Amino acid sequence: MNSIEIKNLSLNFGDVKVLKDLNLTIEKGEFLVLLGASGCGKSTLLNCIAGLLDVTDGQIFINEQNVTWLEPAQRGIGMVFQSYALYPQMTVEGNLSFSLKNAKLAKDEINRRVKNASEILQIEDLLKRKPAALSGGQRQRVAIGRALVRDVDVFLFDEPLSNLDAKLRTELRVEIKRLHQKLNNTMIYVTHDQIEAMTLANRIAIMRDGLVLQLDDPKNIYNFPINKYVAEFIGSPGMNFLQGKINNKDNISFQIDDTLFELDGYNFQTIVEDKRPVWLGVRPENIVVNDGNKSMPVNFDVVVEVIEPMGADTLVWSHFNGHEFRFTVDGNKVINIGEKINLGFDPLHISIFDFESEDRL
Amino acid sequence: MPNSSDMKITDGPRGPKPRKILSRRNIILYGTLIFVAIYYLVPLYVMIVTSLKGMPEIRLGNIFSPPIEVTFEPWVKAWSQACTGLNCDGLSRGFWNSVKITIPSVFVSIVIASINGYALANWRFKGANLFFTILIFGAFIPYQIMIYPLVILLRDLGLYTKLPGLILIHTIFGMPILTLLFRNYFTTIPEELFKAARVDGAGFWGIYFRVMMPMSLPIFAVAIVLQVTGIWNDFLFGVIYTKPENYPMTVQLNNIVNSVQGVKEYNVNMAATLLTGLVPLAIYFISGKLFVRGIAAGAVKG
Amino acid sequence: MFTKAHPERFFIVSIMLAFVALVMTTVGIKAQFLQNIQFLILLVSLLLVIWIGFKAGKFKIITNRLRNRALGWLIAATFSAVLWSFAQKSTQILFPALKEYRKIWNTFEPFALYAVVVFILFALMLFIVGSRDSNLERPGFIERSLVHNLSSKIAALPMVLTAVGVFVIATLWTVYHSFTNSRMLPKSEFIGLAQYERLWSSDRWYMSIENLAIYGACSLIFSLVIGFMLAALLDQKTRFENTFRTIFLYPFALSFIVTGLVWQWILNPEYGVEKIVRSIGFESFVFNPLYNIDIVIYGILAAGLWQGTGFIMCLMLAGLRGIDQEIWKAARIDGIPMWKTYIQIVIPMMRPVFITTLVIIAAGIIKVYDLVVAQTSGGPGISSEVPAKYVYDYMFGAQNLAQGFAASTMMLVSVLIVLIPFTYLEFGRRKNA
Repeated sequence: MNSIEIKNLSLNFGDVKVLKDLNLTIEKGEFLVLLGASGCGKSTLLNCIAGLLDVTDGQIFINEQNVTWLEPAQRGIGMVFQSYALYPQMTVEGNLSFSLKNAKLAKDEINRRVKNASEILQIEDLLKRKPAALSGGQRQRVAIGRALVRDVDVFLFDEPLSNLDAKLRTELRVEIKRLHQKLNNTMIYVTHDQIEAMTLANRIAIMRDGLVLQLDDPKNIYNFPINKYVAEFIGSPGMNFLQGKINNKDNISFQIDDTLFELDGYNFQTIVEDKRPVWLGVRPENIVVNDGNKSMPVNFDVVVEVIEPMGADTLVWSHFNGHEFRFTVDGNKVINIGEKINLGFDPLHISIFDFESEDRL
Repeated sequence: MPNSSDMKITDGPRGPKPRKILSRRNIILYGTLIFVAIYYLVPLYVMIVTSLKGMPEIRLGNIFSPPIEVTFEPWVKAWSQACTGLNCDGLSRGFWNSVKITIPSVFVSIVIASINGYALANWRFKGANLFFTILIFGAFIPYQIMIYPLVILLRDLGLYTKLPGLILIHTIFGMPILTLLFRNYFTTIPEELFKAARVDGAGFWGIYFRVMMPMSLPIFAVAIVLQVTGIWNDFLFGVIYTKPENYPMTVQLNNIVNSVQGVKEYNVNMAATLLTGLVPLAIYFISGKLFVRGIAAGAVKG
Repeated sequence: MFTKAHPERFFIVSIMLAFVALVMTTVGIKAQFLQNIQFLILLVSLLLVIWIGFKAGKFKIITNRLRNRALGWLIAATFSAVLWSFAQKSTQILFPALKEYRKIWNTFEPFALYAVVVFILFALMLFIVGSRDSNLERPGFIERSLVHNLSSKIAALPMVLTAVGVFVIATLWTVYHSFTNSRMLPKSEFIGLAQYERLWSSDRWYMSIENLAIYGACSLIFSLVIGFMLAALLDQKTRFENTFRTIFLYPFALSFIVTGLVWQWILNPEYGVEKIVRSIGFESFVFNPLYNIDIVIYGILAAGLWQGTGFIMCLMLAGLRGIDQEIWKAARIDGIPMWKTYIQIVIPMMRPVFITTLVIIAAGIIKVYDLVVAQTSGGPGISSEVPAKYVYDYMFGAQNLAQGFAASTMMLVSVLIVLIPFTYLEFGRRKNA
C-alpha cells in the first residue's frame, strides 16, 4: 500500500521553476531521504507535502486520499524542523500538548499521549522545563515528540540535525533510526548530508534543480550512480574521474592516451561504439594496491604525492595521466612520498559515463 | 490493482488550491489597510489642496474639495512675504537658517559619534561602559532638565543665540543615539577583520579610516538621514538657543501660523507648513529603506 | 609600606580630584575656596611625582621607551599654554582677531591652565615610568591608564564630556537649583521644598499632569494596539506592502510643528470637519475638539497618533520578521488558528520588542511639547497644558527659573520611574540568556 503519492507536481516561484513535474511514490513504513545540494528543491518538496506551500500543478496523495487542497493540520502528518521551532514560552509539556488541546481532545487522552511520547523519547524528566533550559539534542527530541503525540502516519523531517554538533548528530541519527524501527511509520527526511542519507534511508532520492535524478536504495546509489553528478555527490572521499574514450577493437576497453584498461566484466547498459569519449569513474576505496602478485584485471603505476592518515585507513593523493587520483590503503601500511606504486581495480566496481550527457553507460 | 489506483489518482483536486480574490479574508485585510491609508493621507491632501486655493474659495468651500482655481500665490507669499511679528520676509529666512544649522550639525555630530562608537566597539577601555550607560540614559532623560545649564554654558562661551551654539547643542543631544547606532554597527563587523588589521600594523586611526569607514558607508547614510530629519524638525532647541533672526524654519513657521496679529490666511499657512515639511518628506521618500532602518536601529538596541 | 601601585594610584586620583574642584569652581560653587584646594591638590600630585621618581632611582631620557609619548604630552601642554595665553589681555592686543571670541577663551582659561600643569606632570611621570624596564616589571597603573589604548580614550573624550559634563552635571545642577529661589537668574541659597509645594498647589500643573496622563495612557494603548495590528496585517504576505508602509510612516518624517498645524486646520470648526458634516445636513453637529476644554487633549492625541503610529508599526513589523518562520509552520502543522498563534505564541515571543517600544513611547510622551505649542498653545485657557510646556514657560516666559527647575525635576523623576524597572528587566533578561 502506498503511503504517499506525488503526481506531476510542479511549483513555481514567479518565473523560477523550483519543482518540475515531479512523480514520487512512497510505500507505507518506508524511510525516504531527499538528498541534494542546497537549492535543489528538496525542502520545497517537503513543504509541499506538508501543505505549507501551495503547489502550482499536480496532486499529492497521503494514504490514498487526495490532500492537495487540505490544510497541513488535516493531512495526518507531523513535522520536525531544523530550528526545532519549539514555542519558547511554553514548557515541554505545553509544547507537546498544544496541538492536542487545540483539537479539543479529552484530558486523559492528552495525558496518555504526552506520557507515551515522552517515554519513547526519554524526556520524562524534562516535561516541566522550558525550551531555553534544554540542550540542542533535548530540544530536537521534544520537537520529534511534538510530531509523535499527534499520532500520525507520516513524519516529515526538515534537516533536523543540521543545528547540532557532530557528536550529537551521530547519536540522534541512531535514535531516529530506532524510532523508525519501533513505530514503523512512513518518514520523509530532507538532508544535504550524505552520511545521514546512507545510514537512515530505505531509499534515497537524489535531487537537483527540482528533479529527482535517482531514486534507489543506498547500495545501488553508491555502486551504480545513474550519472556523473550523483557519482560525485555520493561518497567521501569523492570518486576519481579519468577522461578518455572507448576502444572497441578487440575487447571493449577504455583508452586514455596510450594506456588501455580492459573493461571485461563491466555491465554496459547500451552498446557503445568505438572512440566514444567517456568518463571512467572509480571510487578511492575500490582501488587495490598490488604487492607483487598482480591479481587485478587492470593495472597501472602512480607516484605518491600526499598522504592523509585517517586512522582506519590512509588516503593517498597522486596523479594519473594528468588527472588527480586518490585511493585509500590500509591504515597500517607504510607508504612513502615519492614512492612508485602499482594500483589495480576490478571493472565490476567502476562506472562509465558518457562525456557529453554524463549519463551512465 | 495499478489500474484501479490510477483511476482514483487522476480525479480529485489538482494544482493550486482555488482562492477567490474577493475572499472574506482579503476584503477585511485590504479594506482595513486602505481605510487606514486614507486616514493617513487625508492631512497631506488637505494641506496640498488648501495651499492651492484662494482665500475666498476657502471661506466658501470645504477643506476636502479640490481647488476650482489653482493658484500658487500662497506659496510665493509663504516663501517671501509671510510675517512674523514685524519681519515680513517670509519663510525663506527660516529655510536658510535651518540649512545653516543642519549641515554643520549633521557633519560634526556624525564625525564625533562615529569615532566614539568605533572606540567603544573595538577598543574597549576600562570605564567605557559606565560612560556609555550614562550617555544612553541621557537619551531618555527629558531635555527640559538640561536646558538651562546649557543656556548658561553657551552664554559663558558667548555662543548663546548664535548658530554655532545651536550646532553644539545638536551635537551634544544627537550623540547618544548616534553613538549607539555606530557602536552597534561596528560590533557586527567581524572582529577577525579588526584583528587582521592590527596584525598588519594599522593603528587606531589607520583602522578607522582604511578599514572601518569604507565598510560602514550604509550606516553613515542611515545616520545622515536620521540626523537631517531630526535636526530639521527640531523646535525646542531652536526656540531656546537662538534669537528671532536666527530662528530655524520650524520656529518661524509656528510664529507665522500662530501669530495673533492680522487676518488668518489659511492658504498661506498651509503652503508654509508644506514648505517646512518638504525637506524631511523628500529625504523620507528618497531614502526609503534607509529611513526605516535608521529609526529601527536607533530605537531597538542590540 | 607603599607598594609600587599605591603612589601611582594616588597620583591619578589627585589629578581627578583637582579636576572636580576646577569644575565646581566653574559652575560657581564656593569658587575661591575650591580654587585654592585645586592648586593644593596639584601640588600634592607634584610631590607624588617627585616621590615616585625618587623611589625609581634611575632616570633615562634619550633611551626612554616612552619618550615619544612623554614628548606628546609636552606638546599638548604647550598647546594648552597657547590656549591659555589667548585669554590674556597682552596676547589679545597683539592679535585683535582673538577678541571676538573673548568669552570662549575666558571660559577655557582655568581649564587650559590646569591642563598645562597636568600635562607636564604626565610627561614627567612617563619619563619616570619609561625608565623602568618593561621586560622586568609588569606595567604599572600609570602605564595602563596613560599609555595603553590612549587613542581610544582620546577619541571617546567627547562622549565622556557629554555624558558627565553635560548630562550628569547639568541634571544635578537643575535638581539642586530646584530647591532655591532663583527667579530671573539662578541663585544658590537653599530654600527647601517651597518650589515643589507651589508646583503641586498650582492648577496649571495639575492640568498638565492630568493631560499628560490621558494623552500618555491613550497613546500608549492605541499606538501599541494599532501599530501591532497594522504590522500583523502587513505581515500576511500582503501585496503592495511597501506602498502601505510608506504611507503609514510618512507622518513620522514630519515635525510635530507641521503635524500640529495640519490638524489644527482639519479640526478647525469654521472650515474643517464640523463644517463639512453640517453642510451635508446635520446642522447641529458639533465637533470642535480644539475649542472644547473637556476634549481638547483628544484632538492633540489624534494628531500625535497620526504622526507616531507608523513608527510603532515599523518596530512591530521588525519584531514580527524576527520570529522564526518555522514557528509559523509548526503552528500550522499543529492546526492552531492564526489569531491564536498570534496571541499565544507570537506576542509572548515579542515581549522584548514590546518592552523596548513601550519605553520609547513613554520617553516620547513625557517630552511632548512642540505638538501642543503648534496645535493649541496650551489653550483654550490652560486646558491642554503639558509639563514640558510648563517648564519652558516658567524658565523663559515667567522668569521663575526655580519653578521651572522643580517641574523639570518632576519630569525626570517620572522618567526614572519608567526607566529603572526597564533597565532592571533588561539586565535580568541578559543574566538569564
